[in-house]
Amino acid sequence: MTFIIVLLIAIVLLIIFAISIYNSLVGLRNQVKNAWSQIDVQLKRRHDLIPNLIETVKGYMNHERATLENITNARSKAVSAQGVSEKAKAEAQLTEAMGKFNLVVENYPDLKANQNFLALQEELTSTENKISFSRQNYNDQVLFFNNKIQMFPSNIVANSFNFKQEVFFEVEDKAERAVPKVSFS
Amino acid sequence: MNCPVCNQPLIILELNRIEVDYCTNCHGIWLDEGELELLLQNSDEKNKLFNSFLIDNKSKEKSVKCPICFKKMDKIICGDKNKVTIDKCRRQHGLWFNKGELISVIEMGSLDKHDKIIKLLREMFSYNLS
Amino acid sequence: MWELIKSNQRKSIFLFLGMAITLVLLGYFIGSTFSPDGGGLFGVSIAIIIWTVLSIISLTAGSSLILSISKAQEVTPAVHQQLFNIVEEMKIASNLPAMPKVYIINTEAMNAFATGKNPSNSAVAVTAGLLSKLNRDELQGVIAHEISHILNRDTRFITYAAVMLGSIVIISQIFLRGMFYSGSGRRYGSKSKGGGQAQIIFLVIAILFAILAPIMARLLYFALSRKREYLADASAARLTRYPEGLASALEKISECTDELPSANKVTAAMYIANPLKKKGMKLSDLTSTHPPISERIKILRGMMHGVNYSDYQKAFSTIKRSSSQIIPASGLSDNSAIPLRESSEQLKEQQSAIDEKRKMGNIMMAVNNYSLLTCICGLKIKIPPAFGTNKPEIICPKCGNINKLELAGRI
Repeated sequence: MTFIIVLLIAIVLLIIFAISIYNSLVGLRNQVKNAWSQIDVQLKRRHDLIPNLIETVKGYMNHERATLENITNARSKAVSAQGVSEKAKAEAQLTEAMGKFNLVVENYPDLKANQNFLALQEELTSTENKISFSRQNYNDQVLFFNNKIQMFPSNIVANSFNFKQEVFFEVEDKAERAVPKVSFS
Repeated sequence: MNCPVCNQPLIILELNRIEVDYCTNCHGIWLDEGELELLLQNSDEKNKLFNSFLIDNKSKEKSVKCPICFKKMDKIICGDKNKVTIDKCRRQHGLWFNKGELISVIEMGSLDKHDKIIKLLREMFSYNLS
Repeated sequence: MWELIKSNQRKSIFLFLGMAITLVLLGYFIGSTFSPDGGGLFGVSIAIIIWTVLSIISLTAGSSLILSISKAQEVTPAVHQQLFNIVEEMKIASNLPAMPKVYIINTEAMNAFATGKNPSNSAVAVTAGLLSKLNRDELQGVIAHEISHILNRDTRFITYAAVMLGSIVIISQIFLRGMFYSGSGRRYGSKSKGGGQAQIIFLVIAILFAILAPIMARLLYFALSRKREYLADASAARLTRYPEGLASALEKISECTDELPSANKVTAAMYIANPLKKKGMKLSDLTSTHPPISERIKILRGMMHGVNYSDYQKAFSTIKRSSSQIIPASGLSDNSAIPLRESSEQLKEQQSAIDEKRKMGNIMMAVNNYSLLTCICGLKIKIPPAFGTNKPEIICPKCGNINKLELAGRI
């Protein structure tokens, strides 16, 4: 009799334990999704800003048609990209095109005095910062979630309920590569 | 900031990145201490300008109060022949020109050592002066 | 992150407890002078009640109180879009649950502070001088430092501590003044009773303690706030991944000689740099609310290889030549290599004093809802809201053109 009661209690405890793990996994997955939607908002914002930018600078930059076309193409590719890894790749190309554009702008002092352009440039800078910060946040959440899926005992619950690992949003970041990591210790 | 003469809010005029405060009612002009400094590059020149002023204690003109510290301002005599009296804050918050005073001061050029101020004011108020 | 906040609080709790003990002892000694048996406990409870009441007031109205004491005005994005953008960037980077409210203080001094009882209910305030003199990266560093204070729960902690300091000062003041005015009468009265001797001893202790307690509490309060500045600097470097931004902002702030008139010795602890710096700053490190700014700059510039917490600790140990742990152990276990990023701005020509002045003036006018008309001749006309609508047009004094007031836009 006592054995059965102990066994029942143990089973109930185990079920409660499994439920709590399950709930925390769902919570984490939602956080990943939430972090992703934050990136998505910023990406959309960037896509919306670029046509305005092209419109503003067109009159000033007749000799830079190639640079501007490059941006437009990269943008439309980025807009139509699906899925995390494809989006990451397309966005990286767009960032690179924008980088080239920013270098070229230096040769147009008139443009740099245009209030409208300056406001747009501030918006774009800020949006790119927001993208990179929310990417960092997203990757942190993914790492946390993936660790949880792989680790014991939560991996048992994750496997039986078919939780899948999420994909990192990885971008070839030239600025990050530019600084060599040196350690003297 | 309100006009020391008619107590109306002053508006701000900016030309060549220098600002002056202007009363649309009496057309008086307030030149801020900070703007003087920008106009004269450094405060040495400002002190020179202020030192060149003659304080008139016996002036019968109605005294006005500095729009910044609300303290009575000094009457300053400019020019030799047609004397014009402008107002200067004792705590050096700035200068006040009544409408007619500005024209006279500009015409006699008694401040010509520091004619940057005159040039700017002449340009800024070319319509009022004509 | 959570672990970091907790252990940060554990460390500060000792200093905080020190203040609490001071408060309790103060109450005990003062109570005992009135009645040696039982009076002490009564005094303690009075002291605790005063502290509790003040704490409740400051937690419900604290932020708005501090903001209004500091003469900060809440602004909309239209006043300064870049500031809002940067605050939002840092909100995203730090994963703050809600956007802090943004305030501007209309003064030429350079400073900033954060307040708020929790991360979803916070505010940051910056001065117009700071906005006009810092570039984008520098402003980002300052905002990151302030957001870190919110994130590390420093804003709430400092409020508690400030209130405790305030209670101690108030109680001591009331007691000492009471002694001064009515001391003689009580002495005669108590001599006739049996416990007179003990009461006199308590009286002496109480007077001594009432004089010393506020000083002790102040020192503890300052120590508490100093410690938190380093951690906020470290967090800011990590959030922006660009320590040079904050370092160069601090440098500009330290070169600025304008004092912030609306700050006092208690609210001083909340600012990014000591707003009352000029008078006797070198006097002693103990009475300063902030670590020396030059040291903070050196540490930030010492972070050459990465921006995580252990990098800051390493730089700290090298510069200070001390092994004291400024970052809690849990922060140091964070070994994910976070590389620095490059400056986001091409090196700009130094802006001239006149540009700076115009920029600052425009910020201040935007905060105060001035409107702007540009006449066809190029003259810019800036109109204060007090100018009113009774005069619908302004004749340009330069060209005589009639400008309609209704066409005026925002500055």
